[in-house]
Amino acid sequence: MSHDVTLAEGIDHQVAMVMDLNQCIGCQTCTVGCKTTWTEGEGRDYMYWNDVETHPGEGYPRGWEGSGGGWKSDARQEREVGEIPDQEDYGRPWEFNYEEALFEDDGPLRPEGEDPEWGPNWDEDEGAGQFPNSYYFYVPRICNHCTHPSCVEACPRQAVYKREEDGIVLVDQDRCRGYRYCVEGCPYKKIYYNAVTKTSEKCLFCYPRIEGEGPDDEVHPPVCASECTTQLRLVGYLDDRQGPIYKLVEEYEVALPLHPEYRTDPNVYYIPPLAPDQHSPDGETVDVERIPREYLERLFGPDVNDALETLQREREKVNRGGSSELMDILDHTNPAKQYRLEVFNDE
Amino acid sequence: MSTHDNPDERTDDDGSVARRDFLKGAGLAGLVGATGYGAAREFLQMERLEVVDDPIGDYPYRDWEDLYREEWDWDSIARSTHSVNCTGSCSWDVYVKDGQVWREEQAADYPRINDDLPDVNPRGCNKGACYKNYVHGAQRVKHPLKHVGDERGDGKWKQISWDQALTEIAEEVLDVMEDGDYDGISGFTPIPAMSPVSFASGSRMINLLGGVSHSFYDWYSDLPPGQPITYGFQTDNAESADWYNADYLIAWGSNVDVTRIPDAKTFLSARYGGAKTVGVFSDYSQTAIHTDEWLAPEPGSDAALALGMARTIVEEGLYDAAHLKEQSDMPLLVREDTGKFLRASEVPGLSVGAGDDPEKVMIMQDAAGDLRIAPGSLGVREGEFDPGSSIELDFDPQLSVDRTVETTDGQVAVRSVWDRLRERLAEYTPETVYQQTGVGRETHQRVAREFARADRGKIIHGKGVNDWYHNDLGNRSIQLLATLTGHIGRNGTGVDHYVGQEKIWTVNGWKHLSFPHLDKSGTGPRGMPTTLWAYYHSGVLDEADPKLRERIETSIDEGWMPMYPEERADGTRPDPRIFFVWRGNFYNQAKGNTFIRETLWPKLDLVVDVNFRMDSTAINSDYVLPTASHYEKYDLSMTDMHTFVHPFTPAVEPLGEAKSDWEIFRLLSERIQELARERDVGPIEDRSFDRELNPKTLHRDYVRDWIDDESGALEEGKDAAEFILRNSGETNPPDSDEEITFEDTVEQPRRFLANGGHWTSPIEEDTAFAPWKNFVQRKDPWPTYTGRQQYYIDHDWFLEDGEALPTFKEPAEELTDEYPLRYLTPHGRWSMHSTWRDDKYMLRLNRGEPVVYLNPADARDRGIEDGDQVRVYNDVGEVQAQAKFYPSSEEGAIRMNFSWEDYQFPGGNNFNSPTSMLLKSTQLVQYPEDSGEHLHFFPNFWGPTGVNSDARVEIEPVEGGEHG
Repeated sequence: MSHDVTLAEGIDHQVAMVMDLNQCIGCQTCTVGCKTTWTEGEGRDYMYWNDVETHPGEGYPRGWEGSGGGWKSDARQEREVGEIPDQEDYGRPWEFNYEEALFEDDGPLRPEGEDPEWGPNWDEDEGAGQFPNSYYFYVPRICNHCTHPSCVEACPRQAVYKREEDGIVLVDQDRCRGYRYCVEGCPYKKIYYNAVTKTSEKCLFCYPRIEGEGPDDEVHPPVCASECTTQLRLVGYLDDRQGPIYKLVEEYEVALPLHPEYRTDPNVYYIPPLAPDQHSPDGETVDVERIPREYLERLFGPDVNDALETLQREREKVNRGGSSELMDILDHTNPAKQYRLEVFNDE
Repeated sequence: MSTHDNPDERTDDDGSVARRDFLKGAGLAGLVGATGYGAAREFLQMERLEVVDDPIGDYPYRDWEDLYREEWDWDSIARSTHSVNCTGSCSWDVYVKDGQVWREEQAADYPRINDDLPDVNPRGCNKGACYKNYVHGAQRVKHPLKHVGDERGDGKWKQISWDQALTEIAEEVLDVMEDGDYDGISGFTPIPAMSPVSFASGSRMINLLGGVSHSFYDWYSDLPPGQPITYGFQTDNAESADWYNADYLIAWGSNVDVTRIPDAKTFLSARYGGAKTVGVFSDYSQTAIHTDEWLAPEPGSDAALALGMARTIVEEGLYDAAHLKEQSDMPLLVREDTGKFLRASEVPGLSVGAGDDPEKVMIMQDAAGDLRIAPGSLGVREGEFDPGSSIELDFDPQLSVDRTVETTDGQVAVRSVWDRLRERLAEYTPETVYQQTGVGRETHQRVAREFARADRGKIIHGKGVNDWYHNDLGNRSIQLLATLTGHIGRNGTGVDHYVGQEKIWTVNGWKHLSFPHLDKSGTGPRGMPTTLWAYYHSGVLDEADPKLRERIETSIDEGWMPMYPEERADGTRPDPRIFFVWRGNFYNQAKGNTFIRETLWPKLDLVVDVNFRMDSTAINSDYVLPTASHYEKYDLSMTDMHTFVHPFTPAVEPLGEAKSDWEIFRLLSERIQELARERDVGPIEDRSFDRELNPKTLHRDYVRDWIDDESGALEEGKDAAEFILRNSGETNPPDSDEEITFEDTVEQPRRFLANGGHWTSPIEEDTAFAPWKNFVQRKDPWPTYTGRQQYYIDHDWFLEDGEALPTFKEPAEELTDEYPLRYLTPHGRWSMHSTWRDDKYMLRLNRGEPVVYLNPADARDRGIEDGDQVRVYNDVGEVQAQAKFYPSSEEGAIRMNFSWEDYQFPGGNNFNSPTSMLLKSTQLVQYPEDSGEHLHFFPNFWGPTGVNSDARVEIEPVEGGEHG
């Protein structure tokens, strides 16, 4: 099988990530790893360049799915106008009264300031439906480093750009003046305004790590991938035909972009979630899917149906004692396959 | 959400940005949605900026990118881990920048066991990824603190010198020694495997003083009593890599996606490797969402579900008869008149070997109908473990036997355990199981068939079963499924119980380091079952029903369970006097804490807490001694989840005046020795062990290596770590040149070289560890009375209570109209017990304060909305928390995650306040009663469990909702 890979014009290679939602346990180790590495202090405390959301749910920032942005049509001539989230939609980075509560018997320990009414993971594990047929799953999100980034288009200062060598989308911290057109223009709300530096900041796809620019001179995958305890992320280049991303996205077509209707062509792809079947009122397992297909179609588009079918088919192959390249890619018996970041280094 | 308005932003004097400024947007509304290069070009010219021809792929001004490259920078990296009884035992790289811990990332260099198994790397979790917050955090204890208020917990502290702290504590210890109340000194420190050097530090001092070591694994209700009952062994488990070997994998009350985060990968991967996964949870849990099938039994009804599944397996002939005949007690004969096993001593003409004890030899019937000695019975083997004996059969024992036997008491009707079991299982019809559990009549039978027919079936078993009063019945019923199907003793099979990091692989080195009297005087630790201690000294015993009280008294009087301080010659029993706590949060995690706080705590003359942070126990202590954090010391780490040992090494120096646990207890020993000589205290004859206690040589004895007979050898924590590795068969096998040194572990985690003669399977190259192979494959007798997996316990109390065989019993506390809700306190993902419970990064990712998870229907029935403050109460106690809707909860049960700290609740109560203190008397027995080879007290191996899931409560909104 050979498929065309469409990269943005002028981009040599495109980094990409596949996240297998069947392995996301909502532990947020990715979120914490990203935070300690990139978003502490200096106006970044409220930001989660990587977050994990319970779906169905409000997400982070609250209601981002309904916040506009992206392109009006496939011609990508006109942007869909978006909104800028309020600070309350992100949640405040609470500080706590440790000294009083722990050392002076003057508690309880609480976030300082107003009583919080929202936070980045406020509706964790809530989902939808009723017991015993409720449903929920986790969706980790970073910047999609889109092939057609509407944030780039949105910036009147042209401070947002896409790198030639790897397609990473960055906000030039020297040129940015914090107008936040990019925040408004990103349909995924993955650019964050820094009120201290008065610039907007975002996920870097950990370019200093994938460039091997640390004191150890070693190439590391993005923190969110390398710290992921279930290793649900595969990282590489979309145009590396030997790589797992290409296989999952282009060959098996089991990895899909989130909200393709925003038309930015994300380079983060998701393997959609399976779930155990529903229960009847008398406690029997019945042949009814737990997560409504319409919901999954709303997130991943109509291709989700084929993706789920392929996933089930390949699982059954292995269950019957057969072998499946797809299952081999996903089951961690060969971690060397998980990350292919140095494949174009010789160019 | 807002749209753009004005771009001007202000930063306040303190550098913070006012909320109103945050809300203001950029002021170029006219451009919104109508940008594009033309408009941009016009704007840029206005702003005097260079125009970028194409920001997609051709952006010219990239020098600024060094900004983030410069942030990806550090000065040094040290290898360490976390000591929190999480079972993770994850090796981390700790990055230091400018003298502070900047971040951590999994070292991810555990060796591969086998290329066909999922890589175990990287092990870690969200908590481990931000332990650094504690190292420099506001919770940190940096100096010795002395409580100077009127009442413990009133927040009145004075910072004192180490010199003062050591002297004052040493004086009190010596006062108690002078009174002869050394068994009123006790130490609570859980789980050696998570940091054995720190465990040993205080334990060593207390052992030398003649003091008492508390059990913890049973007190935490982590010990599955069904394992010692059935297998004769504390607990042995497969490492998580073995999950992948199963082709039918059931997570039963074990929420691996939340509570085994580093291991969840293997559970999830198994689905891609050809396994079916099943979740058994009363809620649609975080693990259930990723299974192929979920069963939802009512809370506390696990035994009924398991016994129903067992009925299907037995009635449909899906059991493994050969396994049952050789490996289980099913063919053994039981007298109908007494309910006791028929013994060889009762059957004239049945001869046993010279030196054998016919009263402890069981009987089976062969294919010809002749009675035969059951090989491996306790009476024909040398003690508990006897690899020289075998259970291999040279005849065909019959499973089904119903006959009479001519005995010394005349004609006696007997039946096999198998026949009794079948009769028991017949009670668990599909209809009954449905009524008791709510699991479908067909579904549970189908799952039973699938499990039985699988080539390799495995059950991962956890706290959802083990926290109930009748946990032993739950354990035994679930274990029965593995035994019936022969899914045990091979890779990819078994019932693996993972609760608590109890598996101290290097058992010999740890034991000798912690309890030097083993070598000094040949006497063991003065160990104590903490559940019983708490029950006794909290005054709960006085309120107990007469039968329970009588049994407790019998157990203590018979010496089945020890109780300290011991009864004195004059019949009195002093109260406990000095309580040392380190590496644990006793005050916070005490079940029935209302009783502990009101009655037990005031009895203590002195409470000393050694801690890196101000937890609930520290707050309620008399002295808090600042200890090194996990990134400031040397130690070792191991777990039952894997077969590797790896170290703690210091990334930074201890903060403030903190010192490692090893140094703190060494210094305290030194001060006690010094003052004992001044005051002439000791030597003292131990009341019940043949040994002398000598505070005058305490420090000398503390730093002495008693095995190698070398003085001053154990000054440093690192020396102690080396001692453990050197003296353990797992790391220094006696029959091999290979040895794992501390330096080896610093280089890379090392896989154990051998099983040290203690564990139930060998360590095999290329093979994941799975337990019980010594018995199932090598055919050693199991360390039970019968030498087999034993489902029939003929102890009088078990017979009296109808629990000789596994059975289902309802939760101990019945739901009523007044208290109609189950109150469950499962482990959550945002803390590891109480550690990280107060961490701001974790709190920001939940709600910043304690929450209680409610089914929305239960909430709305009571006028409660998500976010409301609610009171959870019953006749034992109450606690206040924020309501959070959790539609995946069954109705009739509410959940508050385990281990919020006291200071996170208004009013000083905590999550345990509504729990009673329950104690199940069958967990106090010795078996056989006279010799106890099968069940005998040893701390953490056998003793009563401190359960907490049987509680019942009601909830109501808190009017006015004072937000804590």
